[in-house]
Amino acid sequence: MRKTTLLLASIFTVLGIVFSFLPLGTLALLPLLLAIIFSFITFSKSENDLKQLPKMLLIVGVVCLLFVVSKQFFVKEEVAVDKNFEQVKKETKAEAKKELEEIEGLE
Amino acid sequence: MISKIYKLYLCTFIYTMKKIFLIAITVFLSIVTFAQIKSGEKLTFAASYNMSGLMTQLAQVTMETESVNTEKNNYLHLSCEAATFSKWDSFFKIRDIYESYVNPESLKPSLYKRSIDEGGFTKKEKYVFKGTTVTSTMKRKNMAETVRTFTVGSSTQDIVSLIYKLRTVDFSKMTIGQTTSMTVVFDEKQVPVTIKYMGKETVAAGNLGKKECYKLSIDATTKVLKGTDKNLIWITADAKKVPALIKFSIPVGTGQLTLSTASGI
Repeated sequence: MRKTTLLLASIFTVLGIVFSFLPLGTLALLPLLLAIIFSFITFSKSENDLKQLPKMLLIVGVVCLLFVVSKQFFVKEEVAVDKNFEQVKKETKAEAKKELEEIEGLE
Repeated sequence: MISKIYKLYLCTFIYTMKKIFLIAITVFLSIVTFAQIKSGEKLTFAASYNMSGLMTQLAQVTMETESVNTEKNNYLHLSCEAATFSKWDSFFKIRDIYESYVNPESLKPSLYKRSIDEGGFTKKEKYVFKGTTVTSTMKRKNMAETVRTFTVGSSTQDIVSLIYKLRTVDFSKMTIGQTTSMTVVFDEKQVPVTIKYMGKETVAAGNLGKKECYKLSIDATTKVLKGTDKNLIWITADAKKVPALIKFSIPVGTGQLTLSTASGI
């Protein structure tokens, strides 16, 4: 039992760390919450001399969770200046004007 | 002689009054028509998608209006752009443009264009409205261009102009549960859309603060929208009728658009 929960806690902690640093937003909360749950179960089921690893996993999970949550509140979302997109918009507009004149010519 | 002068004066007076009245009516009507949708309006929304139970902001949606003049006519250009926030660009970059060129008074579309670039998948669509006939042209990435001609109703809108048309509807006289029907062109065909008035609610409307809004449910017989009363739009219950919040339910999940800034309204 302890081995299984420790393995799951380790897997979800690694996934949680990776997801926390990738721009996946709140999606990172899913592995992190599972990591914390399994780390806590392992911690409570462990003998005193075996509590060190689950304790570390639990701390890492909580720190990553706080990091993800604070990113949601403090990091401002911005759209990058996309010159290519701006060019596409200009071209589309010019094209549309010609098309409207063509439509008017047909009427 | 005096009687003739009096009659002439009276006729001139009546004619002048008629002119003034006509001008006043025209100005009044144009104010009423243009009051809601005018050129230079810009609405910015934050688009969020439900990820692991929490709404995650993915993209910015911008709706703008602009006057466009050709040699014969003038149009109102309604554009709706979606662009993913920079942190998502390296994973799944979205750059979509939906635009409609409409009659500034009736909001009847003449040309509707859609250009999407979603994670490398591109698609271009063009719908030309001529009376009750629509000619659509569609070009998907690595596929041949398709052209279709189909008949629509005289009041059929496109997706973009539908949102603006909604803003001209007088919801103040509607009762809860009352519906109104519209039709839109979507995926090279005409699709009926039902708008249900669901009452008033106060929601956050970006820089406009908290606003009392008309809550509307949009139901369309299409595979794109899912569920009953799951696709909702809140528009401010004032003369501007600005969309403050839009919630949608699609086969792959749910999301929402929240108004961040409104200018030029």
